[in-house]
Amino acid sequence: MAAISTMQLIEGYLKVTDDRQQMIAGNMANIDTPGYHTKDIDFQAAMKQVVNNSGAAQLEPASRELDGLPERPDGNNVNIDRESLMLSQTQLQYQMGVQLIKSEFHTLLTAIKEGS
Amino acid sequence: MSLFDMMSISASALSAERQRAEVTSANLANAETTHTDDGGPYVRKQVVFSPTSGTPFRTVFNGLGRFAQSPTGSVKLTQVVDDPTPPVKRYEPGNPDADKSGYVEYPSINPVTEMVDLMGSVRAYQLNASAVTAAKQMIQESIDILKSS
Repeated sequence: MAAISTMQLIEGYLKVTDDRQQMIAGNMANIDTPGYHTKDIDFQAAMKQVVNNSGAAQLEPASRELDGLPERPDGNNVNIDRESLMLSQTQLQYQMGVQLIKSEFHTLLTAIKEGS
Repeated sequence: MSLFDMMSISASALSAERQRAEVTSANLANAETTHTDDGGPYVRKQVVFSPTSGTPFRTVFNGLGRFAQSPTGSVKLTQVVDDPTPPVKRYEPGNPDADKSGYVEYPSINPVTEMVDLMGSVRAYQLNASAVTAAKQMIQESIDILKSS
């Protein structure tokens, strides 16, 4: 059953990365909205949820507002550099998850074909 | 379908930024307009952005309790407001819009401010367009899982 649980774990990982990417898109969209605060996912908490629920998609992504970023006079604290960086980073993380799932399927296929 | 949600969030920002650029261009175009349909000079317009909680479709589904998804963070141009700055008076006795003492009211538009605003919206548009590209690539990658290796 090891393969299935790994698959579930990667699936959860993809879901968390996906939620995070959505939050980054939201931050980018609100770059000029007065009073908007940067949102991010609590990655550790979200992954813990995935492990505890054995890969089941969590209902509420653990989002939180980020502190410590310098605020503009209009109360907005979206940092364009941070968001661009996070966008690329999360995209690569997602790509990694996809590659992992592909290799899992490949392993299964090898087992089915008895290695031939 | 979160990846498509991400695309629609970025799309909302693209639309909002485009409208902002439109308003800014209208301000620039009317920088010297002294006579409007309502009488008086053109009044500088400003946009108001506010975050929205999800698409109407998603909100309806949330109401039905089918999807307990968190609200998405798209942006919306909620209103276009007038700049309360009083018009600038210039002494031009020959102008048909001049008052009795020969002063013409011009809209208080600073081209530099408008250009900076325009650049800001162009940059924000580019940023969100790159987020759309990222979402597109991610969707493509997940479709590629189906391809036999």
